Amino acid sequence: MSIDPSWWAKIHGASTHFPVALTMSAAFFESLGFVLPGSARAKASLLAAGYYTIILGALGTFPAVLSGLLLTKGEMGGHDALLFHHLFVWPAFTGLIGLGTWRAWVGERFSRRGFLCYLAVLFLVAGLMAGAGYWGGELILDS
Amino acid sequence: MNPPLEIKALGLALAVASVSLGGALLAAIPVQWIMKPDHDAAQSAPTVSSPERASSPALVRQGRQFFAMTCASCHGDDAHGDEGPDLRNLAISNARIAVTIKKGVKGEMPNFSKKYDDAQVSALVAYLRSLR
Repeated sequence: MSIDPSWWAKIHGASTHFPVALTMSAAFFESLGFVLPGSARAKASLLAAGYYTIILGALGTFPAVLSGLLLTKGEMGGHDALLFHHLFVWPAFTGLIGLGTWRAWVGERFSRRGFLCYLAVLFLVAGLMAGAGYWGGELILDS
Repeated sequence: MNPPLEIKALGLALAVASVSLGGALLAAIPVQWIMKPDHDAAQSAPTVSSPERASSPALVRQGRQFFAMTCASCHGDDAHGDEGPDLRNLAISNARIAVTIKKGVKGEMPNFSKKYDDAQVSALVAYLRSLR
């Protein structure tokens, strides 16, 4: 298949920023909506924003992962920066899909303890996404 | 007793996440199969009509050491290709090989400009030129 490799790099670069940004945003909205001692309406709005951002973030990982596989010609590991990128990407991808599924299913019917566990995993996944983004940037900027 | 909704959702989340990861792993296989043939970015680079050939044996020996330390993990012990492309009988200039070693190939191969100086890169090039 003789497609210009830079084309996949552009698609991957464009598609990866959505799940990264949406995961960070979800962590922000969800945690603020959970702890904010304000009105019920403000909390509900923040949690609704978190609900949609985490689901969109989870859905956004599919084009990002697919374009990444095409860019690296199916490389799941690699070496140096690419390996570090993948060590963050795969747990982040799996975690984000799990979080999006859980949140979509549960909706507003969550317990305090269940949502705290969800938030803890969400922050962990947001950190993994940040790491994946950092090493992805190193691949581009350090070469 | 039915498990609470959150536990059911956790089960579903784990299943969907596992299937997604498995799907990505499985998707990598046909992608590798379809796209590996043109993985060889170095060989598809501009060519010269008669490839330049090897230098002194000492330089080649030194280059072989560097190759074993740094390159063999991807290009194979004898440079026949593995994760990276086959580097025997490269139809590109020495300068082009040196630039590829120093600058890398974006998204595919790291740069080695900090690891190897010009003389060491020349040794690597000499070793690659010695391969048939």
